[in-house]
Amino acid sequence: MKESHLKVDPVLQALRALAENDREREAPPEVEARLLGAFQLRHARRVRRIQRMRTWAASATLAAGIAIALLLWPNRTPKPAVNATPPVVEVSEAARPAAEAGPAPKVVRAPRTLARKAAAASPPQAHEVVTDFFPLMNPAPSFGRGQMLRVQLPAAAMRTVGLPVREEHLGDLVQADVLVGEEGMPRAIRFVRFDVK
Amino acid sequence: MASNGKRMTSDEELLEAALHGDEAAFTALYRRRQGPVFRFALHTSGDAAVSEDVTQEVFMALLENGGRFDPARGTLLSFLYGIARNLLLRRLAMKRPEDSDALPEDLAADDDVLDDLTRRETIEAVRSAVLSLPAPYREAVVLCDLENASYEDAAAALECPVGTVRSRLSRGRAMLGQKLAVKTARSIS
Repeated sequence: MKESHLKVDPVLQALRALAENDREREAPPEVEARLLGAFQLRHARRVRRIQRMRTWAASATLAAGIAIALLLWPNRTPKPAVNATPPVVEVSEAARPAAEAGPAPKVVRAPRTLARKAAAASPPQAHEVVTDFFPLMNPAPSFGRGQMLRVQLPAAAMRTVGLPVREEHLGDLVQADVLVGEEGMPRAIRFVRFDVK
Repeated sequence: MASNGKRMTSDEELLEAALHGDEAAFTALYRRRQGPVFRFALHTSGDAAVSEDVTQEVFMALLENGGRFDPARGTLLSFLYGIARNLLLRRLAMKRPEDSDALPEDLAADDDVLDDLTRRETIEAVRSAVLSLPAPYREAVVLCDLENASYEDAAAALECPVGTVRSRLSRGRAMLGQKLAVKTARSIS
């Protein structure tokens, strides 16, 4: 039996001959073409996915900003922020706090709860005055369709677009309209003031 | 990306660039490594069509899962061999057992050049003997003896220790010697 076996060296030689014979064998060119097609498709999908993620992240940032603003100023009533004059309401003598004893002024600043009650009792006639839109993207891509969102923001946001706000009113909440493109990106903002008549 | 005009030497660099969308890098990597992968599949399966499919699937898998490649565990080529091996094992498992002894279809066409006849017969006999080896020995012989992979690369691809590769190789060669001797004896008689 042993005599019938080839020794290892001839086996290696035979294997080398086979390896040499097949050295040039390769996958046909169609495989490369198919793979490149798949690569391009995959890359295009990846780019779209990244764009979607960026859009989502921008929207989430905007939403988070709004949510934080609302959380930080949860109990404040929206006030007209630009040159915001304190709300003035007539307060009856009985409702005036004891600390304000003395000659009654004609007009006093109402405590917040009283002001709210008074506002509920007789809602003032207010109409909106809006600023121009300020772009939030530079350069702004073309705008096809979108949505307008009414949000509340700290008045400090007005400074970011160059509107003047007094230092003492930076924390006041103001209302704003945010124009959001159909891809979810905030495109422009305008601020709203309520003029009480 | 750096592939434009600049020569990148390592497979790892090409893979990194390809995974970031560099088509030229992917093409370069494919052209560099498709031959060994195709031949590994061919020598293991004996079927050119299967080898073509496997080669394509290997590089598709590289695109999808290339991020999982860990250079600390072996070279990129061994990673590619490993993917090819898994694909081949899956295919071979589905194949009927009696098919394994069949001669590869791409061997059917023979030249009539008499000078080459003996050499061709020898080569086809070796090919046939390699294909008839049990899978673990066949893989070791194909990787180490036909594709000149290092023991470490073969071990990484076959997911076994280097010592196991050595022993499978040794046993595989011995079995080959036996098979070739039987064939030789038959042809002489």
